[in-house]
Amino acid sequence: MTWAALVHVVISGLATGSIYALMAISLVIIYNATRTLNFAQGEMLMVSTFVGWTALQVLDVPLVGALLVAVVASALLGFVLERVVIRHAISATHFDVLIITLGLSLMLRSAAGVAWTHDEFPFPSFFGNRPLVVGPVRVAPVSLGIIGASLALMLALGALFRWTRLGRAMRAVAQNQRAARLMGISVERVYSSSWVIASVVGAVAGVLIAPVIFLSSKMGLVAINGFTAAVLGGFGSMPGAVLGGMLLGVLENLAPLYLPASIKHSVPFLTMITILIVRPGGVLGRVARRKV
Amino acid sequence: MISRASFVLLLALALSALPAAAQQGVSDTEIVIGGSNSFSGPLAFTGDQITKFGVDLYFRVVNDAGGIHGRKVRTVYYDDGYRPQDAVANTKKLVEQDRVFAIIIPQGSPPVVATLDYLEENKVPMLFPYQSSPVTRGKRWVLQGMTLSDRSSKMMIDYLAGQRKIKRFAALYQDDEYGKSFLTAFEKDLARFGLKLAAAESVKRGVTDVSAQVAKLQAAKPEVTFLVLVPGPGAQALKERQKIGWTDTIMVSTGPLTDERYLALAGDAAEGVEGLSLWPDPVTSDLPGVKLYREHMLRYHPNNEVNRYSIAGYFAAMLFTEGAKRAGRNLTRESLMTALESIKGYASGILPPITIGPDHETQKQGFWVRVEKGHFKPMTDWLKSE
Amino acid sequence: MRHAALATGAAVVVGWPWAAPRYFVFLASLIAINAIVAIGLNLLSGYTNQLSFGHAGFLAIGAYAAAILTIRAPALPVPAALLLAGLVTAAVGLALGVPCLRLEGLYLAMATLAFGFVVVEAILNLDWLTRGNDGLRVPAARLGPWTLATDTARYYLVVTVAALLIVAAVNITRTRTGRALLAIRESEIAAQASGINLAAYKTLAFVVSAFYTGVAGGLFALVVGFLSPDSFDVFLSVDFVAMIIVGGLGSILGSVVGAALITTLNDSLAGFQNYRPLIFGAILIASMLFMPGGIARALGTIVRPARAAAPPEPPRQGEDR
Repeated sequence: MTWAALVHVVISGLATGSIYALMAISLVIIYNATRTLNFAQGEMLMVSTFVGWTALQVLDVPLVGALLVAVVASALLGFVLERVVIRHAISATHFDVLIITLGLSLMLRSAAGVAWTHDEFPFPSFFGNRPLVVGPVRVAPVSLGIIGASLALMLALGALFRWTRLGRAMRAVAQNQRAARLMGISVERVYSSSWVIASVVGAVAGVLIAPVIFLSSKMGLVAINGFTAAVLGGFGSMPGAVLGGMLLGVLENLAPLYLPASIKHSVPFLTMITILIVRPGGVLGRVARRKV
Repeated sequence: MISRASFVLLLALALSALPAAAQQGVSDTEIVIGGSNSFSGPLAFTGDQITKFGVDLYFRVVNDAGGIHGRKVRTVYYDDGYRPQDAVANTKKLVEQDRVFAIIIPQGSPPVVATLDYLEENKVPMLFPYQSSPVTRGKRWVLQGMTLSDRSSKMMIDYLAGQRKIKRFAALYQDDEYGKSFLTAFEKDLARFGLKLAAAESVKRGVTDVSAQVAKLQAAKPEVTFLVLVPGPGAQALKERQKIGWTDTIMVSTGPLTDERYLALAGDAAEGVEGLSLWPDPVTSDLPGVKLYREHMLRYHPNNEVNRYSIAGYFAAMLFTEGAKRAGRNLTRESLMTALESIKGYASGILPPITIGPDHETQKQGFWVRVEKGHFKPMTDWLKSE
Repeated sequence: MRHAALATGAAVVVGWPWAAPRYFVFLASLIAINAIVAIGLNLLSGYTNQLSFGHAGFLAIGAYAAAILTIRAPALPVPAALLLAGLVTAAVGLALGVPCLRLEGLYLAMATLAFGFVVVEAILNLDWLTRGNDGLRVPAARLGPWTLATDTARYYLVVTVAALLIVAAVNITRTRTGRALLAIRESEIAAQASGINLAAYKTLAFVVSAFYTGVAGGLFALVVGFLSPDSFDVFLSVDFVAMIIVGGLGSILGSVVGAALITTLNDSLAGFQNYRPLIFGAILIASMLFMPGGIARALGTIVRPARAAAPPEPPRQGEDR
C-alpha cells in the first residue's frame, strides 16, 4: 500500500464521513428540540431524493432544479410529519415517539418501493468521477465535491444557529425547554422548524450521496451510520456530530486496510461501545449528569 | 375478543381444508403452487421480479391458453424479507394451510436452506430455488435453478486460466453465503492449475465505500479481479476503479452479477468489464423464447422493463409447466419429479437444450461476455461445466 | 374470577394442539418464544428504564449456544441445554451490563444496538463453531427417551418453559427486588436515597433479561431448526421493542399480549408482500397515537381508571441539563 493510495482512501472516507456528519446533524437538530430520536431520518432522505430524481426524469429539470425540488419536498414532508403525527404524540412517553418514527421508517421505505420499485437507479452527480492527478496522488472530484458542499452547508447551519433569532430560540429550547417557554419562545414553532431544517439537511445529503451509493429504497440505511456518528461526537453537540461523522468515515476505510478481516466490519460498533463506556459524552462532549 | 376471533378463523380454515384431494394442491380445475420470497428487505426488487413479473407472467399465458391438462395454475407468495425464520414460517403455512402442491423459486441461500429439511421430510418439491450456493445439492425433492457457484467457477477458471492463460487472480466478494461459496470454488478450481488467489477482500451488503478494499486489491496486482457482488456494490467497485485510474486489471463479474442493471448503475465505468453470462441478453437477444418473453411482458406488464430476474422466473414456470404436462392428468408430486427428471434436450428457446436427469440441475452453462459501448457482447459460445 | 380466567387460559394452552391446525401450533410456539423475550426485555426496560436495541443479539447467543450443545452433546437433555444457553447469555449480559451502568436512555439504546451488530459479526467470524454464513441446522432435541420431532412436542416444551418463566417473572416483580426495580424506574435518585443499591439492581436486571432471552433463543433454535446470522438482524430487536411498547412497559401480561400481537401481525401480513412493512408501520403508529403507553395501560384505564389517571411522568432525560 503506497502512501498515495492511502491519501485517496482517507479522502474517500472523509467524503462518506461528511454525509454521516450531515445525517448526524439532522438527528441532533431534532433531538435537541424534542428530545426524540428520529428513526425515519434516513427514509425521509431517501424519499426526498426520489422526488428530486422524479423531477429530473419527468420535468427534465437540470440537477440544481432536482436538488431544489428535493429540498422543498423534504421540508414539506418534515413539516407535515411533525404536525400530523409527531405533535400528537409529543405528550406521550419518548418510547412511544420512538416507535412512531420506527413505524414511519418502515412505511416510507415500503411506500417508496410501491411508488418507485425497490430497484436501484443511477443518479447524476455535480462532480466528476475521473481522478485529478496531483503528483502520485489521485483524488476524485466527487469526493472533494461532497466534502466541500457538506462543509458549506455546515457553516451555513452554524451561522443560522449563532446569528438568527430562530437559531437562538432553538438553542434556548435545547438548553432548557421550560425556561425557553417562560422567556416567550414558541416551543412549538421550534419543533416545527427543527423538523424542517433537519429534513432539508437530509435532502442535500441524499442528493450528494445518491450518485455514490445509488438511489434506492434502501439508501436510507445510511442513517444508521449517522446515529453512530452522533454518538461518537456526543449526542446533542453540532461540532461533535461533524467530528464524529468524519471520524467514522475514515475509520471505516482504514479498518479494512490494517485490521484482520475477522474484525474489520465490527470496528465502527466496537469504537462506539468503547467511546460510550470510556467517554459517554462523546469525543467532544461533557458527561451530562442528571441532577436532583 | 382476540381468541374468539381466531377460533372462528380456525374453524373456517379447518372446514375449508376438509375435503382432502387425491393430491394436495391439485384439484380438477386448479394447481396451487407458491413460495416464500423477498418482497421487503435487501432483495425485494429481485423477489418481486422473479415472482409476479416472471413466474406469474408465464402462468398467465398458460392459463389463458387453457391451463395444464385443463387445470389453471394459481400462485401464492409470502414475504420473508430475507429472514430464515420467516421463510420457515411461510413455507409451513404454504404447505399446511394453503396446501400448495410445490414450492417455486424461493430466494436467497439462508431462507432456502432453512426450509430444506422440512420440505424433504414432507416430500414437497422445491423447484428452482433462486440462489447459487451448492448447499441445496443432492436432495430428493429439490430441483436446482440458477447455475450453482461451483459450476460457474469451473467455467470461469477453465476459460481464463486454461484458454487465456491468465495467472494472477483476485476477488472482491460479498460477505455472505453467495460470496463465500464462490470464493471456495475459485480456490479449488485455481488449484487445478497450480494457482492461488493473490488477494481476496470482502464487503458487506449496503456498503457505502469500497475504496479501501479496491486499494488493497490493486496493491496485489492481479490480471483479473472477480466481482462476486450484487448490482449496487458491484457498480460501486467499478466506479472506484475509475476513481483511482486502475486500468491494468480485467474486472470479471460472476453470473448472478452479470446483468443490465449493474451496467446502468456503473455507466461508463463498466466499459471493458467481462463476465460470465447465465442468460441471453433479455433486451436484445433474437432467440425465439426471449422474443416471446418480451412480447408477453409487453402484453401483460407494459410498464415493467425486461430483466434477468423476471426471465429467470418465467423460465422456472416454463420448466414446471413442461414437467406437469409430461406427468399427465394424474399429477402427483412423485409423477412431477419423475417427469422433470425425464426431461432431455428440451428446447426452451431461451437457454440451450435442457437435460435435467438424476443430478437435478437445470442450468449448467454460461457464456463469456464483454461490455462494449454499454452492452454485453458475447465472446464465446455456451461454455461447459461438466 | 381470576382463578377461572387462569384455568380457562391454561386449558386453552394445553388443548391448543388438539384444536388448532398444525401451522397454528407452530405459530403459538413462536408467540411463546417471543413472549419470553418480551418479558425479559420488559424486566430491563419497563422496570429499570434501560431500553435495549440489542436483544436480537442475546437471542442469537442463546440460540447458537443451545444449537451447538445439541449438536456436540446429543445426550444432553433439553432442559440442561436450555439452562446452559440461558446462563451463557446471562454471562454475556453481565459483561455488557456492568460497563453500560453509566449509560442511560439514548446512549444505552445505541450501545445495545452496536452490541447486536457485533454479535452478528462474531457469529460470522467464529465459523469453526457457528458455521458462519452457511448457517447451522439444528437437530431434533432429546428429552429422556423422546425425540422432540413434531410441532406438538416442541410446542409443549416451549409453553412449559414459558409458563415457568412467566410465573418466575411475576414473582420477581412482587418481591423486594421487583419493588426496588420499579422504584428505579420511577426515580433513580429517589430510589438511591431510599437505600436501594442502584448498580446492583440495574446489573441484576441486565443479567435476568439476558437469561430470559437466552433461554428463548434456545427454544428458537429448536423450533425454527435453522440458524444463520441473517436471522438476528436489527429489525428483530426492533420487533422486540415494539412488543413491549405496544403491550405496555412494566407489565408482564402486557409483554405476553404484545408478543402475541406483533407475532400474529407479522405472520398474517406476510401475504401482503410489498405492502407488509407499510401496513405494519401504520398499525404501529396508530396504536401509539390512540393507545399511548400500550395495551396494558389502555386496559388499566378501563379496569382501574383511578390509577391510570396519573400516568408516570414520561422519561425526559436531559431536560434540566
